[in-house]
Parts: sequence; structure tokens; C-alpha cells
Amino acid sequence: MTVSIYLYVLCFSIFLFGSSVLSCFFSIKKQHDFVSCTLKIQIYQRLNEQELIQGLRNNDETAFKWLVDAYQDRIFNTAIGIVQNAADAEDVAQEVFIQVYRSIHQFKGDSKLSTWLYRIATTRALDLLRSRKSKKRFGFMQRLFGENNEPIYEVPDFNHPGIALEKKEDAARLFKAIRQLPDNQKTAFTLHKLEDLSYKEVSEVMNTSVAAVESLMHRAKLNLRKILKKPA
Amino acid sequence: MDNQRNNRIEGALSSLDGSKRAAAPDFFYTRLRARMLARHEGGERGLTKNKSREWMLRPVYIVSALLLVLAINVFVFLKGDNETTTATADNNESVQQSIAAEYSLNDINSVYDLNQDK
Repeated sequence: MTVSIYLYVLCFSIFLFGSSVLSCFFSIKKQHDFVSCTLKIQIYQRLNEQELIQGLRNNDETAFKWLVDAYQDRIFNTAIGIVQNAADAEDVAQEVFIQVYRSIHQFKGDSKLSTWLYRIATTRALDLLRSRKSKKRFGFMQRLFGENNEPIYEVPDFNHPGIALEKKEDAARLFKAIRQLPDNQKTAFTLHKLEDLSYKEVSEVMNTSVAAVESLMHRAKLNLRKILKKPA
Repeated sequence: MDNQRNNRIEGALSSLDGSKRAAAPDFFYTRLRARMLARHEGGERGLTKNKSREWMLRPVYIVSALLLVLAINVFVFLKGDNETTTATADNNESVQQSIAAEYSLNDINSVYDLNQDK
């Protein structure tokens, strides 16, 4: 009887001791991981793009974190310009990075990494808009729509977080007009105006010539003027 | 009137000039990783190397481990009690046998053949 109680106490104290040692070990390891991760991020800031891509191909988590930290705002801004909804834009941005993580081995390096990321972001954002549109078209909600699938009810105005307060109203009208542009004009206009990319950079993202981008921008502005002329 | 309308249109078209970049929401990376983990990305590509150890710290495993230790202790306690009783019984039997051997009690033939003398 006494032996059993002794064994019981012994087992329990061994277990308690073991668990405390384990938790100490994990907390120290976590701290060490954090420090080494910070150091690695500083190293990646100094490395060139090829080395970053190599790090991503080697499944280096620090390289991936650095990539996300460096590009998350650009990707989110591009996505929010197209989908015009913060939650959807975050969703798109996450999907972009997941795709990059999955298919970094397929990236040949013909273009810049940023160009590739912008391309994925615009494609994903437009895909989301298309899927929404087709759902609306074939869904139960089609009763709410009039001719040419134009919504009868008012879609809430989108306020871009980076626009100055005095321009918010004008910007909301512009974003409403941008919704009605064709996809390629929408992409070119968003990348150039919101992301401040040059026509050359936009042409690289859209895999087209600079002249084609100029033409797209010209047509986009004409269409926007037409839409904005219509009474609200 | 037309001038006013044109100004409004130009104002709207130039409203994006000088705009700031919209920042991604806070904890974007954390949420991204959570989504990746949910899709078992880490298992395939080794991003979540810590995942193999994280399961140990989940409450369900800690409670299970505690219950297991308790169960082992209860088992040891009950088994130990039974063994003590058996050991006492064995001891009594061996004492009896030794006494019997000492007094040659084992050789006593208690079965009598009544027909043997006839």
C-alpha cells in the first residue's frame, strides 16, 4: 500500500518535472527562433532578388515572411482597387501569396518578382469579380437585376483608405465608374493610377506592349468621362 | 453649367492623383499562415516545421497525458494490492509444506486397503 502511494507520487512528480522542463525548452526555443528570424530578415534585405527567389525555392520561411512583408501593401492596394472591398482584397492578397509559395518553382525569372506578383494579383482580383458576377447572374438574386445585368439597388460607395478626405467624394464617384470598365482597362487604370506604375511596368504586368497600354489608358479615360457625365 | 460639370468630371478623374497606398490589415502574415496551415500547406512543403511539436502543447493532449498517468497510477495501485495478498497466501502454503516435510506428514498413507489382509 505504502509502496503504491510512493509510486503514485513519484510518477506524478516525474510528469510535472518533465512538463515544466518541456515548456521551458519550448519557450527558449521560441525566443531563439524569433531572434534568428529577425537576423535572417535583415540579411534578406541586403540580398538581391535572385537570392530571395532561391530562398523561397528552398522553402525558407524567413524568405517567405520577408516577401510578404515587402509586398503585402502593394498587392493589397492593387486588389482593393479592383475588387473595391477590403475583406475581398485581403482574401485576394492571401491567395496571391499562397500561389507564389506553391508555384515559385515554376517562376522562370524572365520578369521581375514584383511584376509576377502584380500579374497574379490582378488575375485573382478579376477572377473574383467574374465569379461574383456569374453568381449574381445565375443566382436567386437575379430578380433584383434589370436589363444588361445592371443592379437595380444601390451598391454602397467604396472609400479607398489612402485618399485624402477632401477628395473622398470625387474618388467614390470615380471608383463607381471604374466598376463599369472592361477588365483590361480597369487593370491598366488601377495599376497606373493607384499603384503609380509606369506604362512600361504596366505593360510588363499585362504582358503587352507600351503602346497597347497607352491605348487602354486613353480608352479608359474616355469611358470614365462618358460614365461620369451620366446623371447619378 | 457645362463648365461646372466638366470640372466635376476632371475633379473625379484626378482624385486618385497623389493618393497613398492602402496598407494591408494588421496581422496579415499571421492570418496568411493560418490559412496555409488550414490547407495543410505546411505538411507538404515543410513551412510548418514547428507544427510537429505544437500538438504536444494542445490542451487535449496535455489532459490526455495527465489522465494516462493517473490511469497508470491507479493500475499500479490496484495491482500492487493484489500482489501483496497473493504473496501472503504463497508464504502460508510454503510454511505448511515445510512443517509437513519436517514431521514426515507427507508420507502418511491415509488410504487403507481393507482387502489386503484377506
